[in-house]
Amino acid sequence: MELVELPVPQPKANEAVVKLAASGVNFIDVYFREGRYKSPLPLILGQEGAGIVTTVGAEVKSVKAGDRVAWSGLQGAYAEYAAVAADRLVPIPQGVSDQQAAAAMLQGMTAQYLLYDAHPLKQGQTALIHAAAGGVGLLLVQMAHNIGARVIATVSTEEKAKMAQDAGADEIILYTQADFEAETKRLLVGKGVDVVYDSVGKTTFEKGLNVLRPRGMMVLFGGSSGAVPPFDPIVLTQKGSLFLTRPSLGNYIATREELVARSSAVFSMITAGKLKLRIQHTYPLSEAQRAHRDLEGRKTTGKLLLIP
Amino acid sequence: MYAFGAVGVPYNRCVVEPDIQETIMKAIFVQRTGEPEVMELTEVPLPQLKPSAALVKVTVAGVNSIDAQFRDGRLRTPLPFIPGQEGAGVVTAAGAQAKTAKVGDRVAWSGAFGSYAEFVASPEEHLVPVPQSISDEQAAAAMVHGLTAHYLVNDARKLKAGETVLVHAAAGGVGLLLVQMAHASGARVIGTVSSEEKGRLAREAGADEVIVFTRQDFEAEVKRLTDGKGVEVVYDGVGKATFEKNLNSMRTRGMLVIYGMSSGPVLPVDPAKLSEKGSLYMARTTLAHFTATRDELLARTSALFAMIAEGKLKLRIAKTYPLAEAAQAHRDLEGRKMTGKFLLIP
Repeated sequence: MELVELPVPQPKANEAVVKLAASGVNFIDVYFREGRYKSPLPLILGQEGAGIVTTVGAEVKSVKAGDRVAWSGLQGAYAEYAAVAADRLVPIPQGVSDQQAAAAMLQGMTAQYLLYDAHPLKQGQTALIHAAAGGVGLLLVQMAHNIGARVIATVSTEEKAKMAQDAGADEIILYTQADFEAETKRLLVGKGVDVVYDSVGKTTFEKGLNVLRPRGMMVLFGGSSGAVPPFDPIVLTQKGSLFLTRPSLGNYIATREELVARSSAVFSMITAGKLKLRIQHTYPLSEAQRAHRDLEGRKTTGKLLLIP
Repeated sequence: MYAFGAVGVPYNRCVVEPDIQETIMKAIFVQRTGEPEVMELTEVPLPQLKPSAALVKVTVAGVNSIDAQFRDGRLRTPLPFIPGQEGAGVVTAAGAQAKTAKVGDRVAWSGAFGSYAEFVASPEEHLVPVPQSISDEQAAAAMVHGLTAHYLVNDARKLKAGETVLVHAAAGGVGLLLVQMAHASGARVIGTVSSEEKGRLAREAGADEVIVFTRQDFEAEVKRLTDGKGVEVVYDGVGKATFEKNLNSMRTRGMLVIYGMSSGPVLPVDPAKLSEKGSLYMARTTLAHFTATRDELLARTSALFAMIAEGKLKLRIAKTYPLAEAAQAHRDLEGRKMTGKFLLIP
């Protein structure tokens, strides 16, 4: 990744150009940089940003110059300016800063769709959340707590346990010291959890099925430990007529309507003080390499932002 | 063996109950798994009566696809066994600790193994009372298929008015009931069938569209019928043969509920496929988990019997066989002739 000088982009008819105030660093940026995910070269990385609209294309009606907006899912945010499809830009309300918006879009909307739509979590239900101190994890824990559900969180260290607890988890399991399956069963006195939110995948999937109550749901939304290999669906029956979904954010913000609704919901939680974002560090845009090294070193526990 | 608590009734001892006149009975007996002919009418001892169980004289037994899967060994249970899990009859004896079952009660059941017989023993909590307004044939015909359709449409994936649902084997035992219930919920029903004749039955039951899958590719047809979007829900009792195409026939965030496997078990599933094909949901369900408590069993059965008694749900009894002809019933079942329910009369 090199900092270079390029012409300021011109918007296509359906695009707007945004002067970036902050962009979010995500693991998917690493995958594109490495070539694990393919994209034509040369490439401006970065899929999450916030800033002010400077110019709009001829067909754009949803935003105008001067609007404070944010987006996620479209490349080009590691820059001073980005041309973005206008119908993918959402307004940032007063009460949410540019940095908060850049930090919240991807992970915030992910937590929101998981808890409100993939499996709508209800007050009084019990949810098992893995990687509870991760980016999405901490937001899931807070939102689940706000919904009034009982949260069982799994984490790898004492430090992360404290973070999950501060976020509202009711029970914390250090999976490096205890078998989360046995511990969950013990905590629930033999009953099962209503839902498992699993971004870890390979190492947690089967045990997660074992702690679900009959007719409970496994929401498998990531694979940080590796992809879950193909499994015999009869296992779902044997373990209680279980339900499984493997969702991705894109299918939950496919229309502008849904995108705006979801981002607004997240921003409202922030302005109401109900959702705390962990912004670990901001880097000048020129230090993108350092940001990636820090992210890949897996020592960061909060969001990393680049500031042009 | 691997089936969700389902066990055949193994036979190895004679039990003499002092207050029952018979000590032997006629039953369909399976000593080796295989083709329908392995089911032979035999004289066997009466089943053992456990303390909280009841002995029931079977008036009518229901035939289900799953019976064939036990008979041919696809599903495992210890040999020898009496097949069948469904029927209606009268309680003739109650175990010493039985609380609810009384001699003379008219009852029906969906999970009493060994039903292809003159008598069956069942834990009393699996026996439900049959109201006056429902005949023995209706009760035996309704239990497994009706409770299955009911839980699918109300609990596994509740249908909303305006949604489009794909029902496979729409003229089969569960199919015809599913189509009626889905139609009643206000959903648009697309049914797949293997012949024009079955298509007619499915339409009569309320299917809006019918696909004769032996002549058309159901995936392409479903897409055509839904402007390329796919259906919100698929209810599938077929399993292996339809799985891949089912995934391709659903809209984003749709749900596939697999409740049976008449064509064989679904091959291993890569969860990533669910994501690629639109953040789909899948479930692989069985009736036992939707009638797990007596409360739930009674609530579901009452709702079902009420629908039948009020004429809101039509049961199609396709054919009635003497118990001795159980093998023929299975031949007809496997020959795709079961357009409705098959019953056996001991």
